[in-house]
Amino acid sequence: MTLLHFQLLAAALFSLGLYGVLARRNAVLVLMGVELMLNAVNVNLVAFAAYRDIPIATGQVIAIFIITLAAAEVGLALAVVLRLFRSHGSADVDAIRGMRG
Amino acid sequence: MQNAWLIPLFPTVAFVVLALFRRFLPGQGKWLAIAAVMAAFIAAWPVLFDMLGLGVGPYHFPREWFSAGPLSIGWGTLVDPLTVAMLLLVTFVSVLVQVYSLGYMRHEVKGRRGSHVADDPRIGWYYAAHSLFTASMLTLVLADNLLLLYVAWELVGLCSYLLIGFWYERPAAVGAAKKAFITTRVGDVGLLIGIALLVAHTGTFDISANLEMVEHGELSSGITTLVALLLFAGAVGKSAQFPLFVWLPDAMEGPTPVSALIHAATMVTAGVFLVARLLPLYEASEAARYTVASVGLVSGLMGATMALAATDLKRILAFSTMSHLGFMFLALGAGGYTAATFHLLTHGVSKAMLFLAAGSVMHALHDETDIRRMGGLARRMPITGTAFVLGALALSGVPPLAAFWSKDEILVAVASGLNPLFLVGFLLAIVLSALYMARAMRIAFFGEHRADAAHAHESGWTMKGPLALLTVCTVLVGLVALPLGFDGIGSFLFEAGHGPHAFKADAVWMPVGIALALAGLGLGWWLYDRALERVDALRTRFGALARTFERRYYLDPLYQWVVDRVVLAAGRLIAVFDRRWVNDVGMDGPGVATLAVGTRLRMHVSGFFADYGLAVAAGAIALALLLWLGA
Repeated sequence: MTLLHFQLLAAALFSLGLYGVLARRNAVLVLMGVELMLNAVNVNLVAFAAYRDIPIATGQVIAIFIITLAAAEVGLALAVVLRLFRSHGSADVDAIRGMRG
Repeated sequence: MQNAWLIPLFPTVAFVVLALFRRFLPGQGKWLAIAAVMAAFIAAWPVLFDMLGLGVGPYHFPREWFSAGPLSIGWGTLVDPLTVAMLLLVTFVSVLVQVYSLGYMRHEVKGRRGSHVADDPRIGWYYAAHSLFTASMLTLVLADNLLLLYVAWELVGLCSYLLIGFWYERPAAVGAAKKAFITTRVGDVGLLIGIALLVAHTGTFDISANLEMVEHGELSSGITTLVALLLFAGAVGKSAQFPLFVWLPDAMEGPTPVSALIHAATMVTAGVFLVARLLPLYEASEAARYTVASVGLVSGLMGATMALAATDLKRILAFSTMSHLGFMFLALGAGGYTAATFHLLTHGVSKAMLFLAAGSVMHALHDETDIRRMGGLARRMPITGTAFVLGALALSGVPPLAAFWSKDEILVAVASGLNPLFLVGFLLAIVLSALYMARAMRIAFFGEHRADAAHAHESGWTMKGPLALLTVCTVLVGLVALPLGFDGIGSFLFEAGHGPHAFKADAVWMPVGIALALAGLGLGWWLYDRALERVDALRTRFGALARTFERRYYLDPLYQWVVDRVVLAAGRLIAVFDRRWVNDVGMDGPGVATLAVGTRLRMHVSGFFADYGLAVAAGAIALALLLWLGA
């Protein structure tokens, strides 16, 4: 296992997430795409940190921060999606355009 | 003399007061206007006495209004004998015309309780415009710089428009006013360009400074000629010379006292004054000098022939004015500064009187102006008749009346200053001018009564008084030519550099002039007798010629054709250009283009989150690629 393998994994995860964000219309699936992208970044951070010679866990620390933030973000975003579903009757991101200029 | 600038101030103040407050003044302020112009007349005399005491000058009193860089704009005065002569003529005629108008402008007014004789309803405005007219002309003759002169010049044009179109209820008057304004404007464009060109080369508006530079040959001869000709174009328009005289006969639609004012003192004399004032400019250029003389001669002959064919009393006088102004230009072209100025004065007085006499006739005959419907008026209206006959004799050049002296001067000047062709033309014009005056006089004032003429009567003192006074002046004014008490008008009008030019009684030309004048008068008297058979015979024989005179040399239809076919056609062409190019392409073009680009650009603004996200992603990838490849 070299660093390259991790990078390829991260890139694949990120691309899948990006695809999910751009192509999915369901807000929950879009959020899942965002999670995938965040985790792709985490994989990258941890891998770089692990393959470095200096024993300082900067990458791992930042990854933990991101996991925390992602948890909070998903909690908030799911609440918003829930409210939207209640008020609009769907979770389709394209259908919700009440603030369109 | 340094206070001469006060003279135009009187009528100006009268104009302002009348224009604003005439409703609150007794008689709509007409007395105020007369008092003001009277004050101007009185104020002009000290200037003359100063000049007689101190010598002829010229006296220059520059006053600065403002300056812009090297260019100084002033409202100073230039007082020389020409100015003084004009000041006196203008104020004198204005006073008499305004007094005369008191009577003339009372006519039948239709009120609620039937019609009665009263002042014209707009009498206040009439006097206001009169005052402004006088004030502008006085400013014109006093101006020491070309810009002030031009301002006054345009004001004169404006006032003529206002007064010719005074009875704007009549379509003919409105048309005549517009025609006068526009026709003179054609010449004024030349004047403006001429002034601009002159100032561009000399750097100053000051008349004396400009003339000095011209005399010292600081301008190239081409520029001098061009400037002289352009300025002359303005004079041609204002003084109703060929080819811009078409407005003059139509201008007779205005009230008759206005015609008297226009023809004797203000307006048409401005052109002669301009050329006389700038005479060194014309003497510096042979071409300009000959142009002035030729235009003068052509106008003199044309005016005389048209007067011979006209049947409207006022138009006969109008054409006569044109003809005599032509003589003045002829004299100026011949270098006869004194002759022209002197003729300006004598003609002014005589013509004012003739117009007032014509007005008196019209007043008596309920605005009849056709001489064929008059006849025998001299018996009915002795004062008017005497005035008209004396005026006619004076303009024909019978001694010792006014215009005889000046006409003789012109004859001498033409004989010595121009080539003999001009002399022959002028001699012919003398005969013709005697002939048409004899015709008008014979048909209108002698013979049997026709139509309404039987119960004509003289008017009130306000009309008879000025008429009588002008008659006396017409008889006497020519005598200033003689060295009685002072050296005669010739040496008074002496201008520095021109040498003393006293009245010259030429042994050859004076008898010739008298003989020709008498011949013309006699011929007219004989031709236009009671039956008019001889004239009718002549008319049938020379039908084409008579028609040419009657139709005013077909210049009106020619101008109409030019306006319709050239000006309007060009206008339409330009209008199409304006619509298709300036408007559609120039103005609308950028708008349409922006709209089209916007419509197309709007495509990417879908409002869908995914599209934006894709763009962000693509942008990020592109950036990454750029960094990767670039590094």
